[in-house]
Amino acid sequence: MTAEMREVRLAEVPTLGSLYAQALGRMAQTVMTTRQPTTLPAVRYAVDDVAADRDQLAEYQHLLGEPGTDVLPAGYVHVLAFPVAVAVMARADFPLPLLGMVHLANDVEQRAPLRLGDRLAVRAWAEDLRLHRAGTQVDLVTEVDRDGETVWRGVSTYLAKGRTVAGAAAAEPGERDVPALPPVAGQWRLRPDVGRRYAAVSGDRNPIHTSALGAKLFGFPRAIAHGMYTAARALATVGVARGDAFRWTVEFGKPVLLPGTVTFGLGARATGGHDYAGWDARSGKRYLTGAVTPL
Amino acid sequence: MPKPSKPASTTRRAAVVGANRIPFGKAGGAYAAASNLDMLTAALSGLVARHGLAGERLGDVMAGAVLKHSRDFNLTREAVLGASLSPQTPAADLQRACATSLEATWDVANKIALGQIESGIAAGVDSTSDAPIVVSDRLRRTLLKLSRAKTVPQRLQLLAGLRPGDLVPVAPDTAEPRTGLSMGEHQALTTREWGITREAQDAVALASHHNLAAAYERGFFDDLMTPYRGLTRDEALRPDTSAEKLAKLKPVFGLKGESPSMTAGNSTPLSDGAAAVLLASDEWAAERGLPVLAHVVDAEAAAVDFVRGEDGLLMAGAYAVPRLLARTGLGLDDFAFVEIHEAFASTVLTTTAAWADDDWSRRKVGLPAIGQVDPARLNVVGSSLAAGHPFAATGARIVGTLAKLLAERKASAADGAPVRGLISVCAAGGQAVAMILEA
Repeated sequence: MTAEMREVRLAEVPTLGSLYAQALGRMAQTVMTTRQPTTLPAVRYAVDDVAADRDQLAEYQHLLGEPGTDVLPAGYVHVLAFPVAVAVMARADFPLPLLGMVHLANDVEQRAPLRLGDRLAVRAWAEDLRLHRAGTQVDLVTEVDRDGETVWRGVSTYLAKGRTVAGAAAAEPGERDVPALPPVAGQWRLRPDVGRRYAAVSGDRNPIHTSALGAKLFGFPRAIAHGMYTAARALATVGVARGDAFRWTVEFGKPVLLPGTVTFGLGARATGGHDYAGWDARSGKRYLTGAVTPL
Repeated sequence: MPKPSKPASTTRRAAVVGANRIPFGKAGGAYAAASNLDMLTAALSGLVARHGLAGERLGDVMAGAVLKHSRDFNLTREAVLGASLSPQTPAADLQRACATSLEATWDVANKIALGQIESGIAAGVDSTSDAPIVVSDRLRRTLLKLSRAKTVPQRLQLLAGLRPGDLVPVAPDTAEPRTGLSMGEHQALTTREWGITREAQDAVALASHHNLAAAYERGFFDDLMTPYRGLTRDEALRPDTSAEKLAKLKPVFGLKGESPSMTAGNSTPLSDGAAAVLLASDEWAAERGLPVLAHVVDAEAAAVDFVRGEDGLLMAGAYAVPRLLARTGLGLDDFAFVEIHEAFASTVLTTTAAWADDDWSRRKVGLPAIGQVDPARLNVVGSSLAAGHPFAATGARIVGTLAKLLAERKASAADGAPVRGLISVCAAGGQAVAMILEA
């Protein structure tokens, strides 16, 4: 976050549907305009007094297999707060197109448990516009405060494929070592309606997740699972072993086509915490890789 | 005259270390979206947090629900995995209708008394809002045959055999399978048999609400409860109810008989909720710096022949308690507190009437009457009429409540003499479980 950022206070957390609609409208416009922004908007969006919804929380917990207590799962906090970051991406002066961006990675710090009834303040901004071998990537940072203290922080990394923004920082250096697959811990048989069910509970009704036709428009043969659904399933499998304060990371690989089967593996770290991965048992290709480690 | 059995000579008594429940909700209320697993996990998590048991491997966790989805076959173990206990903590599901978590308390306490385990949790949960609805037997059998059918004509033939009526789902109800009468209708018969008045029933209900409200006011439940889904108090509690308000309610049970007296005000509401009790050996509690609120002394289960009308459906407490007192050599005067589950206000009144009726007691139970219960010792912080009654959770609610009452009394008494409490919980199927706690 740079010092010269301007804070814009929103009355409430916007709905993803309205943001997608705005972005869709803009896609039509940008064909006409010639000037493309080349820097990230120096603006931070803020919403005060955000609260979890009792029934939405229950639905989220049931869908992801989280304990049905009043503690908000870290993935649910993402659902609650991330639309504020999407609002930043939906701005006219955001240099990358919101629709069609690929979610590359997510990194969440849950510093203390948040509960139903807590009054939360959400802030979100974009930072670190940089080139990627396949386009341009950007980080969306979302912070959630309770009583003036940041309790949850998420960094979502998105890629605009085939876009090269002039002035963006250079691409990160080449391939890193890929960690070995952890031992098999389970198998997720994902039904065709998983995308629609997560869409209903998260408000993220991006058509690539909810219909085969919508997915085809963006080049996928069938609907694909929400990345955050798979990452949240991984977090739920680690379960209460994650403790009260933890870091939850994920890097997304191949998208999970629905219906589909994900082989899931989990390995305990000697230093505490767990590495996890989800992959296709036949091809060995990874859908997601990440870790849940104590803070 | 049947001889009472001798109390088991155990080397030690299990301690009630603590208890936790979520506030009880009304059907369709704050917990409408919560499942049995959610609520049981919430009650266990609160218990674990309050007693610093995160990561602890307990000897056993026994819990159950009366209305249970078939997918919840391992309900208790699933709840243990969702609470912060060690994943190496084993768990079992059990059920004895409305006495489920009192039975669980008894079972865990016995394992501790026998030295088989050092610690355990007894719990219960029920949701009437999220009750299982099943398909008709004919549809179910057809679906099972369909899954085995190999050819399309076979499948079509099976489907053609279904009638529209087979497709109507079947919701659970509280009717006894052998009599077809609901619990309320059964108790209406017992109410009439014992000549219990409307006024007496409304007085029990009024006391329940006022006592429970007063207990909340003095913070009695602060260390017995975890707020859940926005509730901090039982949803059924009406602190401002009055005899006049209760008197205005229309009877809902026994309407075919003379002067029906059982109303929605003096019957427990359908409820959602969960409750849990932490039990342990004294040594286990001492090692962790945890208090011992009370000890489990003994318990007795009884059942009556309600099917042939020999006794009222909910009258087994009139057998269980005299037998338990005879075995332990205790009398009603030995108890500072008496907790009778208020399935209906009239259940409390018919049970205590039977306890005091020497002729009835000798004839039916084969023991002399145990006497009159002092109303000042009965359900002193309210009971199911005001708190609600999520069937399997009620026993654990009462054990936790009574254990704390006993510990409070013991602490305020200078002489150090034992303080005892008596529990009687009636259950479907003509059953009841009675238990003695002592501080």
